[in-house]
Amino acid sequence: MAVFRAWRRLPGAYLGQFMHSEASAAPSSDAAASPAPLYPPVVASATAKSKAAKLRRRELYYQRIHDAPTVEEKLEIYGRRQRLKYVVYPQTWTLNADRWYQHFTKTVFVPGLPASIAVGKEEQKDDLDLAELRSIVCEVLLQEYYYQRKQRPKLFRASEQGPAPFITHLVPKLAARLACLNPVLGPSSVIDFQPDVNFYWLRGETVVPRGHRRGRIDPFRFQIDDKPRCQIRIRKQLSEFEPLDYLGPGDIPVIQHLPDRLPLFKRQYQNKIFIGSQISDPCCYGHTQFHLLPDKVKRERLIGLKLTDQIEVPYRANAVASLFAWTGAQAMYQGFWSEDDVTRPFVSQAVIFEGRYVAFFCYQLNTLALTVDADKNNPRRNICWGTESKPLYEAIENSDVKGFNDEVLAQFVKFLLNRPKEL
Amino acid sequence: MLAQLPELDTVTYVEKMYPVPWLAKPTFPKWERGWHDPYHYRSPPKEEMPDYKTRPCYEFHRRSRLQEGVKQALWLTKAKLIKGLPPPILNIMNDVAHQLEDQDERIQNAISHACFWAGTEEDISFEKYSPVLLEDLLHLCRSMTVKYPLLSKRMMAQDYRVTATWERESALIQIHITHGKLLNAVNCLQPIASNDEILATENYALETFYPISPIIDLREKNVYKIKNDTGFNKGYPYPYPHTAYTVETGKREKSEHFQARVLMFAFGNALAKAKELYGDEPKVLEKPIVVQSIGTNGQSFQFVVFQLNTTDLDPSNGVKNLAWLDADQLLFEDARKHPEIKRKEVLIPAGIHGYKSDTFKKFLAFYLHGVV
Repeated sequence: MAVFRAWRRLPGAYLGQFMHSEASAAPSSDAAASPAPLYPPVVASATAKSKAAKLRRRELYYQRIHDAPTVEEKLEIYGRRQRLKYVVYPQTWTLNADRWYQHFTKTVFVPGLPASIAVGKEEQKDDLDLAELRSIVCEVLLQEYYYQRKQRPKLFRASEQGPAPFITHLVPKLAARLACLNPVLGPSSVIDFQPDVNFYWLRGETVVPRGHRRGRIDPFRFQIDDKPRCQIRIRKQLSEFEPLDYLGPGDIPVIQHLPDRLPLFKRQYQNKIFIGSQISDPCCYGHTQFHLLPDKVKRERLIGLKLTDQIEVPYRANAVASLFAWTGAQAMYQGFWSEDDVTRPFVSQAVIFEGRYVAFFCYQLNTLALTVDADKNNPRRNICWGTESKPLYEAIENSDVKGFNDEVLAQFVKFLLNRPKEL
Repeated sequence: MLAQLPELDTVTYVEKMYPVPWLAKPTFPKWERGWHDPYHYRSPPKEEMPDYKTRPCYEFHRRSRLQEGVKQALWLTKAKLIKGLPPPILNIMNDVAHQLEDQDERIQNAISHACFWAGTEEDISFEKYSPVLLEDLLHLCRSMTVKYPLLSKRMMAQDYRVTATWERESALIQIHITHGKLLNAVNCLQPIASNDEILATENYALETFYPISPIIDLREKNVYKIKNDTGFNKGYPYPYPHTAYTVETGKREKSEHFQARVLMFAFGNALAKAKELYGDEPKVLEKPIVVQSIGTNGQSFQFVVFQLNTTDLDPSNGVKNLAWLDADQLLFEDARKHPEIKRKEVLIPAGIHGYKSDTFKKFLAFYLHGVV
C-alpha cells in the first residue's frame, strides 16, 4: 500500500503510464529513407521513480527553457517553481558577510579599480572643469545640510534628511552637466529612483536533513531584493574591463557551513528577476547604481564596538550582492541562464555612500553557471573591483565645506563618463 | 452622575485595594513621571500654549480641499484668472528649436516605463507611476542642459517647507506647504504682464460665491505663529522659486480641487518670497514676482503661472494678481498593459492611446522659461 501511495505522489504520474516503457516511443515515419538512426534513442522513463527518471525530468525541464521562444517565457519557466529560498540582504551588518557573499555569487574581489576606469595622477588636469563640478557638488551638499530648513528628523531616520536627498539630487544634476561629454547620459538614458532590483539563483546543494524528503539532495536557492537609492540605465552595454576568461588574482573564499549560520533565513515567495524595468524597455543595460548604507554600519558605531576590521565589510558585501543581482538580471534579460552561460561579459558600476564616506565598485559578470551541475568544468569567475571608502569632505561649517576631496570627485566623474565602445 | 455633597464622606474601595461594586471608585492625583518623555507627551490645553491667540487663523495645508475650487482659490489670492498660457511660454512651446530630438518616442517610452515597466506587479498603481512619470519627464527636461548651459543654474529641492500669512477681508489666512518639490533658480522670472495690464486689473471685480463662506474648508486654529518663511536660509545661491511640482497622492479628487491646490502652491511660494524681499507691509510690488506650478496625477497635467502684483490683499479693490491656468491637459488618454477583449474580439488593444504631444511641449516650455 505504501508503495502505491508513493507512486501516486510523483508529479504527472498515472498508474496506466507505468505499464508501458517510455523507450518505445512513436516510431519515426521515414525510417528507411533517411540515413539517420533507424530507431529513436533509448532514453530513460520520465515518470518512473528512479534516479535515471529524475535526471530525465531535469533534462526535459532544461529543454523547455531552451526551447522557449521569448525571454519572458524563459524567465517565467525558470522561476516558476517556488521553494523555500534564502533571502540575501545586500545591506547587512553581519561580520565578514562579504566572504559569504563572494562564495554565494562565485565572485573574486580585487582591491583597486581596473586600469580603464581608475584615475591616474596626470589625468586630473584634463579638459574637465573640476572646479565647476566641485561647486555643483558643494552647492547640493550645502542645500541639504545647511540652506534648506528641515524638521528635526525622526529617531533613526536622520539619513533620510541629509545623505539621501544629497544622492538623489546630485546624480541627476551631475549627469545632466556631464551629458555633453558623455552622450550616453543624455535623453536616451533613464534614471530610476528607488527602483526594485531582484535576482534569483541556485548555487551549491545539501542533503535535506529532516522531513519527508530526508536524505534527498536539494540545491540552495537564493533571492536578492535590492532597492538602490538611484540607478542609471542605458541602451548599449558598457565595454568590458577584462576578457571573458580572465580569472583575476586571489581565491574565492569557500564557506563550509550552511548559509543559516551567516545567518540567512528561508522564505518562500515569488521568484523575481528584475533590473528595475521590464524586458521590453530599450534601456536594458546598467550604467551605475548609487547606494546609501544604513546607520547601523556607521563607521563611528563600528569603532565604538571595537570592530575596526569590519569597517569596509558592509561596503564590499553591498557591492558584491547588489551588483551581482543587477548584472545577473541584465544577463538573464538577454536570454542567458545557468545552463546557457553568458557569451560576453556584462559590466556594471556602483557608488556606495555612507554619510560623508564614498566607495567605488566595478563588477564584471563572467558566468551565470553557478549550479552544481553547470559549475563542474567551469573555470570562469565573476570579478568585483573596489576601492576603500574615502571621505568626500571633512566637515560642513555654516555654508562652508571644509576639506573637500577632489580625488573622490574625479573618480566619481570618471565613473559617470564611462561609456560603451561603439559610441 | 450626582453632585457630591461636601458634608458626606465618600466611602471608596481604596483601602481594600480591589474593586468592590457597592463602594465608590477612588480618584487619585495625576501621576507625574518627573522627567520629559517624548513618547508619552501630553500637550497642555490649547489656551495655555504660548502661541495661543484669541483671533483664529485659517490655514491652507497640503491636504486642504477647497470646496469651490479655482473660484475660491482666486478669491483667497485676490487674483484674476486668464485661461490658457501666457505668450512667453507659448512662444517657447511653438518654437521647434526648443525641442528634444525624437521627442515623441522618448515621451512614449517614459509613459511606458512609468505605466508598464516600473514594477514586477501586474498592475502598477497610480500612486507608484505618477512620481516615476514626473521624474522621467524631468530627466528629459534636464537633458536640454547640453543645448542651454544656463539650465545647470537650477536646483531641485525636495520636502521644503513654505509658510506665508496674509489678511483677506479681515480674516487671517496662512498657507503652509510641506512635502513639495520645488525647482529653484538663480534669477527671478521676468514679469509677464506689463504695467498697463496690471493697472487694468483695478477695474476687475472678484467673483464671489455667496452664500458659501470664502474661507470654507480652511482649517481654523488658534495656536499659530504669524510668520513668512521661504524654507531656505539666507545666502542660498538659488533664492528664487521657479516651478513647484505637485503629484496627486492618496484618494483621487476632483480636478478643480486639484487645480485650486496647484494654484495655491504657486501663490504661497510667491507670497513668501515677496514678503522676504519687500517686507511685511502690504503694498503694490515694484517688480512683480512670477512663480510657476505644475500638478499631475500621472495622466493629466495642470499648468499654472502666477504673477504676484500686490501683497495688499486685504481689500477686494485695487490692483489684483494674475493667474494663468491651463487645466486638464492629458498626456495620453489611455494606457493599458493588456487588451480589453469581449467575445474574443479585441475592443481596445494594449498600449498607449491618444498620446498628446502638446502637453510635454508645455511641460518643457515651463522648464525652459527664463533661460531661452
